[in-house]
Amino acid sequence: MRSHQSLRALIGCVAVVLAAACTKGEPSKPAGPSGTTAEAPSAPRKDVKIAVVTHGQASDTFWSVVKNGVDNAAKDLGVTVTYNAPQTFDMVAMSRLIDAEVAKKPDGLVVSIPDANALSRSIKAAVEAGIPVISINSGGDVYKQLGVLLHVGQTEYEAGFGGGEKMAAAGVKNALCVNHEVGNGSLDLRCKGFLDAVAKGGGTGKVLAVNAADPTDSKQKVSAAMGEGIDGIMTLGPLGAGPALAALKEGGGLGKVKLGTFDLTPDVLAGIRDGALEFAIDQQQYLQGYLPIVLLTQYKQYGVLPAGGILPTGPGFVTKANAAQVIELSAKGIR
Amino acid sequence: MSEAVREPPLLEVEGLARSFGKVSAMEDVSMSVRAGEVMCVLGDNGAGKSTLIKTLSGVHLPDRGRMLISGEEVRLKSPREARARGIATVYQDLAMVPMLSIVRNFFMGAEPMKGFGPFRRFDLAAADAIVRAELDKMGIHVRDTSEAVGTLSGGERQSIAIARAVYFGARVLILDEPTSALGVKQAGIVLRYVAQARARGCGVILVTHNPHHAWLIGDRFTILNRGRSQGTFSKEQITREELIQRMAGGRELEELTHELGELTRGDKRLAASRE
Amino acid sequence: MRSLFNRPELGAACGVVAIWSFFSLYAGGSGFLSWAGSATYLEIASELGILAAAVSLLMIAGEFDLSVGSMIAASGMTISLFCERLGWSIWGGIAVAMALSLGVGFANGLVVVRTRLPSFIVTLGSLFILSGGTIGMTRLVTGRTQVGGLHQALHYGSAEAIFASRLGGFSVSVLWWMGITVLATWVLLRTRFGNWIFGAGGAPDAARNLGVPVPKVKIALFMTTSFCACLVATFQAVKFTGADVLRGTGKELEAILAAVLGGTLLTGGHGSVVGAAFGALIFGMVQQGIVFAGVDSDWYKVFLGAMLIVAVLVNTYVRGRMVEARR
Repeated sequence: MRSHQSLRALIGCVAVVLAAACTKGEPSKPAGPSGTTAEAPSAPRKDVKIAVVTHGQASDTFWSVVKNGVDNAAKDLGVTVTYNAPQTFDMVAMSRLIDAEVAKKPDGLVVSIPDANALSRSIKAAVEAGIPVISINSGGDVYKQLGVLLHVGQTEYEAGFGGGEKMAAAGVKNALCVNHEVGNGSLDLRCKGFLDAVAKGGGTGKVLAVNAADPTDSKQKVSAAMGEGIDGIMTLGPLGAGPALAALKEGGGLGKVKLGTFDLTPDVLAGIRDGALEFAIDQQQYLQGYLPIVLLTQYKQYGVLPAGGILPTGPGFVTKANAAQVIELSAKGIR
Repeated sequence: MSEAVREPPLLEVEGLARSFGKVSAMEDVSMSVRAGEVMCVLGDNGAGKSTLIKTLSGVHLPDRGRMLISGEEVRLKSPREARARGIATVYQDLAMVPMLSIVRNFFMGAEPMKGFGPFRRFDLAAADAIVRAELDKMGIHVRDTSEAVGTLSGGERQSIAIARAVYFGARVLILDEPTSALGVKQAGIVLRYVAQARARGCGVILVTHNPHHAWLIGDRFTILNRGRSQGTFSKEQITREELIQRMAGGRELEELTHELGELTRGDKRLAASRE
Repeated sequence: MRSLFNRPELGAACGVVAIWSFFSLYAGGSGFLSWAGSATYLEIASELGILAAAVSLLMIAGEFDLSVGSMIAASGMTISLFCERLGWSIWGGIAVAMALSLGVGFANGLVVVRTRLPSFIVTLGSLFILSGGTIGMTRLVTGRTQVGGLHQALHYGSAEAIFASRLGGFSVSVLWWMGITVLATWVLLRTRFGNWIFGAGGAPDAARNLGVPVPKVKIALFMTTSFCACLVATFQAVKFTGADVLRGTGKELEAILAAVLGGTLLTGGHGSVVGAAFGALIFGMVQQGIVFAGVDSDWYKVFLGAMLIVAVLVNTYVRGRMVEARR
């Protein structure tokens, strides 16, 4: 008898949790076909369903700006958008999220492509199912082969190279590239571009792998590396920049060791304003969230699309000169 | 019984000694058991009982002393060797896997097989039939042999462990404190199966610190104190009171005798009322 | 009737029905019930289920293997590196990876039985060694952290047919999963070795006293979990035509979770491979069902956590019934 109760408890418990989560997710709940057009002139757009699958982990501030872009576009256009990302940097899990979204037959799919090998099967399946696909953020080098219509983002190698040139110009001879997402091909490219540019300027450098989920450990690793006469550090995102900044502060290297980073956060911007950071490479990722939704909605409604190619959202450099203005926008979650 | 007496004992030890580092756990222990007899080895905590059990069952080799099985001198180097020579030991709490069925426990380590090559498999049907027959012979009744052992009482578990040892050809059955964790009724169940095993011709060595249980079932008694045997007595040679007194250290503990006497009288009344 | 309630997989079987019904009602319209939708969660369940089958056997024998996750990364990378760098046939790469996995499993088992350290600690150690070794070796050889291009390897076509093809829209790994579950169940319930697994986990001292070679049983099971991790890595490497150094992260805990959902006790001695298969199925259905329901996948972990706690409560209760002496 009592095992009946336990089972009922199990079913009940799971149902409650599911219900709670579903209520939370109400805004993105797919709306049924509505026959009424009274509520708004954009009513037919409610039937436009767009799925976004990225590799951005929930803890990364960078991706929350992308998600703001996605959400704002959905609100502005009145379309239905779902946003999904795997729990960790896990290409197998990500490809399965894409599979699930494809099975839902959306009107458009937005994906980031950090590992073309692992994701090509799922992305090709989406293309074969007749779903228009736009890639964002990473994958500018492979999107065409996969049948993706457009890529919205910056080219990684060039962005890294630009950062390296700035470092070399600042006189850096012994550089460190801090990779917080080992396994992400785009980040590997950034480091490669950066180190190539440093080498071109007559310096040397190496890659330091850190764990994005463990800032304390990352800080220790940067501290340890600083002992080897490093005079310039490039981090590939906020998850690397924060620990690197903390390590410099603790080790007294602020101002002496040039620090540059990819992507903006309030901390990074304040650091640039105060001179702790040399520069930040901004790819304006808000647009990477916003634009694909606009493009796919128009494509669904009117069949129009830009003529292909890469729609560059970056790189742009934020230095002491324009930091104040960027800080204002950043507070709104737009930069 | 009288026939068995003329044969050499199933198991006999003389002057066994064993020390661990500087600690001497067993100094001079002699005892024997014959077929169809229950030999009770009695001793208080620290008297050397568990060292004796481990030596008899092949876990330890003795430092000194002789061990004879059916009159032939042996040195048991492993529990496996002891088992091969028909010495089976049933440990107090270590006899059964609680969440496993009676059948699976019964044949643990000696599963009957059928089939050939890659399809060789555990013959559960045959195992089930054997278990039912064996438990029947011992007079143990269980509802379902596929029931988990954990649902059985402690006495039933010990009884099944005994049945198992007997089935797998034990000639000498060593029981380590089979009744110590049990209540009076449960202990009664176990002692009944000890009697059954004796009736089937096993030599039983029952190691215990409980003289009352020993007195109920034992044919002969060997008393251990501080690693030495204090003599072996047949049931006719010794009274229960003497048994208790010798166990407690004999004349060395004169001041305790009075108290023990009190206790014994109480127990006697209890036993009388039970009978 | 009573024996039915004591079946370890009962709770998980009911869980499967409950979760499936829930998502069918809530997300049936958006593709959860469709052929393709079912295929996506079965694919996830199949890979996890293969791991969970081996892990549940090991857990019944009273041990854990936390190194299976990083074994996936190490095996996948081994296959990819041998094919990409040395130009080997993909079958050669798979053979090397399998030999490696059996070796690692043997080492895990040997250290656990020899040192008598908790397997939790020993395999946590090998988790780090394997994961660090994979990253280090891959970067040393290639300078990158992901290696692809496996589809150009020799004999890729035959490997794809066996490990990554689709049958009627369903991944072939589902067939493997069923086969392995049936085989593992047969071993557990119908062979001598299976009885020893129960003995080794339920009461190791008693089993040893009865002549069960407990250390050998455990070592064999550690080799099995490691081998199954390699098998899953092979599926993924062939399917995704390459490997990265982080692949499989966290799979060790997911496999343990699936086994526990399926009624296997954390303390060993009791459990079921069929239950672990149900556990893996629940896992796959929740993971994909949330996407079909349009819920932010951030919530996925909340479900898993809640289900884990409920499952453990049910298991503890069942064990209580079984061990409790009859009055």
